[in-house]
Amino acid sequence: MSFNSINFLIFFPIVALIYYSIPHRVRWVWLLMASYYFYASWNPRLLIFMVTATIITYSSGILLEKVDEISDPKKSILLKKFIVFVSLAACLGILFVFKYLNFFSMNLLRLFSWLNITMNIPHYDLLLPIGISFYTFKALSYTIDIYRKDIKAERNMGKYALFVSFFPQLLAGPIEKSKDFLKQFSEKHIFDYDTVKNGLLLMLWGFVQKLIIADRLAILVNTVYDNPSAYRGFEIITANIFFAFQIYCDFSSYSDIAIGAAQVMGFRSTKNFEQPYFSKSIQEFWRRWHITLSSWFKDYLYFPLGGNRCSKLRNYSNIMVVFLASGLWHGAALHYVIWGVLHGIFQVTGSILKPLKHRIIKILGIRTEVFSYKLIQVLFTFILVDFAWIFFRAGSFADAEILISNMYYFNPEIFTEGTIYNLGLDFKDFMVALFGIGAILVINIWQRNKDLRVQLAKQNTVFRWAVYVIAVITVLIFGIYGSGFDAQEFIYMQF
Amino acid sequence: MVKKFFIKGSIFIIILIAILSVLNPIFILKGGYTSKISQGVYEHTGKSYDILLLGSSHMNSSINPNVLWNEYGITSFNYGTGGQPIDVTYYLLKEILKNHENRDIIVVIDLYYLGLTEEFGEEEYIRYVLDSMKFSKNKLEAIISCTPRDQWVYYLFPLLKYHERWKELSKTDFNFDTRESYYKKGFAAGREVYGKKNLSEFTTESAEIPPKSEEYLNKIIELSQKAGFELVFINTPHDYTSTAGMKSWHKEPAKMFNKVTEIAQYKDIPFINFNNIYKEVDFNFESDMFNNGHMNIWGSNKVTTCFGKFLAENYSLIDHRQDVSYAAWNSDFLYYEKAESAATLK
Repeated sequence: MSFNSINFLIFFPIVALIYYSIPHRVRWVWLLMASYYFYASWNPRLLIFMVTATIITYSSGILLEKVDEISDPKKSILLKKFIVFVSLAACLGILFVFKYLNFFSMNLLRLFSWLNITMNIPHYDLLLPIGISFYTFKALSYTIDIYRKDIKAERNMGKYALFVSFFPQLLAGPIEKSKDFLKQFSEKHIFDYDTVKNGLLLMLWGFVQKLIIADRLAILVNTVYDNPSAYRGFEIITANIFFAFQIYCDFSSYSDIAIGAAQVMGFRSTKNFEQPYFSKSIQEFWRRWHITLSSWFKDYLYFPLGGNRCSKLRNYSNIMVVFLASGLWHGAALHYVIWGVLHGIFQVTGSILKPLKHRIIKILGIRTEVFSYKLIQVLFTFILVDFAWIFFRAGSFADAEILISNMYYFNPEIFTEGTIYNLGLDFKDFMVALFGIGAILVINIWQRNKDLRVQLAKQNTVFRWAVYVIAVITVLIFGIYGSGFDAQEFIYMQF
Repeated sequence: MVKKFFIKGSIFIIILIAILSVLNPIFILKGGYTSKISQGVYEHTGKSYDILLLGSSHMNSSINPNVLWNEYGITSFNYGTGGQPIDVTYYLLKEILKNHENRDIIVVIDLYYLGLTEEFGEEEYIRYVLDSMKFSKNKLEAIISCTPRDQWVYYLFPLLKYHERWKELSKTDFNFDTRESYYKKGFAAGREVYGKKNLSEFTTESAEIPPKSEEYLNKIIELSQKAGFELVFINTPHDYTSTAGMKSWHKEPAKMFNKVTEIAQYKDIPFINFNNIYKEVDFNFESDMFNNGHMNIWGSNKVTTCFGKFLAENYSLIDHRQDVSYAAWNSDFLYYEKAESAATLK
């Protein structure tokens, strides 16, 4: 079941209600059952892979601690490395088979055919287990955290299984690290009115973003991206800007609902998005976008590679490796890889040009602390990020090429003549979409300095309740959901 | 703290439902059927009618309350809506009876829709009735019995179904006036002439009624016994081959209606199958039908006259034509007559 389904709206209150009604010591059992049920509602057979990853990483944790007790330090370290290797290889192996096998075999075929070698590599039609990239990363973080002695191995296999499968975070994060989250399953969460209310409010905000904005923008975006050669100029630019906000609202709404749902049950999650489109550099963007993924890569890939405590060249190559991995993590296709590589190139180039930039600023006497300078930085960063999104959203690399070459065409008349309203969003829907983007930006600006939920809590009851009620009614009216109705179908031939 | 949460949460949900119940009628798709349900079920209550006419579009275009009034002084209302399945008819009848004094009332039901073999009727047809019904136990039962489980919430809160209408809402949606068309008393028939022969093959054999239809036919009979109203079944003239290609329909409707005759005889309920009495009605299929399923206004006039005679002869109905308290019926009839002659001139 997805978050924006009626099933979830029934499932979640029941889970939370029972969670608070049963004794503390058995609550993890209930949450584990609920999480497995949540996952099985997509496809019960795919549970086997999550269970396998859980058992492997759980056992590796116990073994790592056991091996640590061996008196011979050399032997101990060697064994520990071996255990981590097996655990990582097994988990990444499952991920590889399901997500990347076909991608790699296809590219291998391409390479061979380029070298004029005929090969027969079978193609497997495997159903990608939903959420596999998310839970695999959580499970891997556990093995590494124990190896690094950041945490102690969890003896209770059920609680560990719950950490891997915790339903709010199961399908799209946030990717919590074991050192931050695992211990919370042993905490006693007492029903706290404000915590529950704030969790529900965050979920409501998630639904506003998802149903009113993201899913509405998606209609125009899909029209253009599904048929790239049919559009040009401002049609593509509009679709591209809309996509930037679609993916932001979609992803951050998912995180908000996940964090909110966890909060209702007393869990504290890591922030996943922090006004990313107000970043003044690509580097800053990655500190504000999908924060838990960036932090995972930083902790478990970038730093082990040497991070920035090495030569410049090595540092640049580390950045490129991380972004290549990030591109691949997002999807097994060339256009995701290019998207990742582009972000890597942006950062490396930014870093190389930094001294030159500083010199120009100094020579021309540009004031960098003023609003206009920051605005240009924000806009420039947005343009770079948005350009890279073309590769992310396009169905293929070829589609991205078409979109970019067709983009350079001046056709502002689509706005005055109204042809822009033929891309799936009529005038009224288009206005709601623009209003939605505006609202997101305004709220993001407010969020920079204030916690809006705290501000709202300070207001009088009538105002607060009006906000809640209006938000729900607005989602119900303006949300994109349900089967809709076909007026033609409803007009019955009376006689 | 838990108590505070539940009290506040309940108040919030009540406020939300209250707002939704105000918004639902604004958002529902409106048409002639919306008006008639409102007029006949909720606006004209008490002892408004001697006869209640229920069924699908076949009923809608067959028995004309204005003709019954003009010729026999009988008051009636036609609740027929396009594609109304028999289970929906049952709950609609319950809702009507709740608001009308049912002593001495005669309920006439057209049984064309017994032929439906699917568990549920078409959504848009069901909605003609359910969307216009006010929230009540009957509506709740109707939703549970007549619609698929995954659609319940969309019937309970029609706003969820029609929310996309926010951009096409007009003044009519906010100020929907149902009074204007009341003079028709729910009846509507077309003015075209079908011009083709009836291809039905008539037989004396009988065939089973689809299980859910039979269940609700029995429920209606039980209800009549319990509530003490008179029940009359009819089947209006139509070509049995008109449903021949439909997957969701009884393959042998002629035989099915013979089965109905058997049940009706056994239960001592009058059943008039107009398809079998064209001579008595002086019915000419080619000129009295609008299409192969529905009568035109001239066919309807003949059938209504015949049916009125049956009512007048078999039930002790009072002729209200001279009663001053029924003056509105006379003025409505005059308005109807004027509208009809205007339509004829066109």
